[in-house]
Amino acid sequence: MGSVRFVDVDKRFGTVEAVRGLSLDIADGEFMVLVGPSGSGKTTALRMLAGLESVTGGEIFIGDRLVNRVAPRERDIAMVFQDYALYPQMTVFDNLAFGLRRRGAPRDQISARVANAAELLDIGRLLDRRPGELSGGQAQRVALGRALVREPQVFLMDEPLSNLDAKLRTQTRGEIKRLQGEVGTTTVYVTHDQVEAMTMGDRIAVLRDGELQQVGTPEELYERPANVFVGGFIGSPGMSFLPGEDGGSVGVRPEHVRPWADGLHGPIEGRVAYVEALGRETLVGVDADGDIRLVAVLEGRADLEVGAPLRVGLVPAGMQRFDAGGRRL
Amino acid sequence: MTNSREQAIAYTILSAFSLFALLPIVGIVFTALQDPNGVATFGSFDGLHFGNFADAWSEGHFGTYLKSSVIVTVTVVVVAGFLSILAGYAFGMMRFRGSEVLFYVILLGLMIPTEAMIVPLYYDFRDLGLVDTYWALILPQIGTSIAFGTFWMRAFFRTVPRSLVEAARIDGASSWFTLWRVILPLARPAVLTMTVLLAMWTWNEFLLALVMVSDEGLRTAPLGLSFFQGRNLTNLTLLAAGAVIVAAPIVLLYVFLQRHFIRGMLSGAVKG
Repeated sequence: MGSVRFVDVDKRFGTVEAVRGLSLDIADGEFMVLVGPSGSGKTTALRMLAGLESVTGGEIFIGDRLVNRVAPRERDIAMVFQDYALYPQMTVFDNLAFGLRRRGAPRDQISARVANAAELLDIGRLLDRRPGELSGGQAQRVALGRALVREPQVFLMDEPLSNLDAKLRTQTRGEIKRLQGEVGTTTVYVTHDQVEAMTMGDRIAVLRDGELQQVGTPEELYERPANVFVGGFIGSPGMSFLPGEDGGSVGVRPEHVRPWADGLHGPIEGRVAYVEALGRETLVGVDADGDIRLVAVLEGRADLEVGAPLRVGLVPAGMQRFDAGGRRL
Repeated sequence: MTNSREQAIAYTILSAFSLFALLPIVGIVFTALQDPNGVATFGSFDGLHFGNFADAWSEGHFGTYLKSSVIVTVTVVVVAGFLSILAGYAFGMMRFRGSEVLFYVILLGLMIPTEAMIVPLYYDFRDLGLVDTYWALILPQIGTSIAFGTFWMRAFFRTVPRSLVEAARIDGASSWFTLWRVILPLARPAVLTMTVLLAMWTWNEFLLALVMVSDEGLRTAPLGLSFFQGRNLTNLTLLAAGAVIVAAPIVLLYVFLQRHFIRGMLSGAVKG
């Protein structure tokens, strides 16, 4: 059983509350992404699960086992670090074999598992090299391999792609997802990048200031954000907000902001604040009265001048209402 | 980019300072090789009289004194080095209550000069019956060496990415295993530099040896040199030869280990 359960978990560093009342169930085999801006507590939550930070309050279970006081090596987890943390003086083979050797695995089992992981990750020809002789992408694969050979109950990944360039990151994103699907190991993945979260997670947990904001599938988070923060954080770009009734607000996704036409909600008069031509589509920022910035996404290229007046409307089905406290109505 | 003129100036300045550092050493060596029956002048060269070293060796009792120096230095460096690695690891990589305060207490050992503690130390050791034993030279120097060694190794351990230790912990390694097999192989330059410095300071320690031991068989080499100087005040040549004998082991150690720590540093620097 590789499920993970956080039950009302708190973490304080002195007077700073890094995580507050986190309750989260992660199913066996699930790919769970913890996402949030820096300081949201996502990495702290992961480190508590790894046993690298103590738990101030609450309980953490791996399977049915309470692990609050269990040493990291006894938790049957493997972690991929942001800086890979490969042992510099050891060859790639020894890096991969390290965890198995520490656990006293028999020699033939070690070679078999290392060979298997090396094949899965296509790093077979690198086994005699040392980490200093690897490119960033190769080091990243070795770090993944080191977790893979352990065949643990849970993979923990702490922003493993953030040191790669954009192209390699996109490629590796898909690869991690594919690998996880193949081995079926429960994975908890921390990132600040909501695109990574949306493309990789079976479910996503959004954190902010140490508190869980919403857990759900990428679609749920995108279609029905629980609050203004999630609406603004998820999506690229995120929701735009307009004042609503009773001090609340109305959120709208860029694809639901369109040049004025019949059947739309509006019209809203504004001026073009910026134009970002992405090729297939164009993002247009529109400033309206009352400090409102709407973002619209238009098909193809848009022939718009910054500062030019623009009249837009909102697709009624895409309008989401939030109360004065920012919660979804 | 430096042009050739800047390079020439840099080389001139560096050469000047190198000469400045080397001249006294060359002077001592030349003096040590002078004709023992001639008029001794510091730094002048009048042939190679290697017999001076044999004379200095026997007159300065260096056979005995160097043996004491080796015993004291090796013991101090091995014990203090080992304990410094452990303490540095704890202070640099572990979080525990009181670590800050404790670290500054240990640093006190670095700040208090031997002159300030030699008198109480003498009485303490006399009460313990340790005066005139190797322990009187070894124990205080282990104490002061650990102060520096801990400071030095802690600084190194702080540069080691914490994730490396955490990865080893998750992979199932104990703290002990992580220190000796994961982290310490990276610490080679730091450990070798510490070894050279501790060996040099222990070898050259004079005041402690002067006060703590009077037994001829326990005296260390620098002390031998000073007695030697007293008896041969007029014989500059033999004094210089004695100085070369005392300095030689440390110079050799330095030259030998320097190759290693340059190699160690290069292996860490070549990346990606």
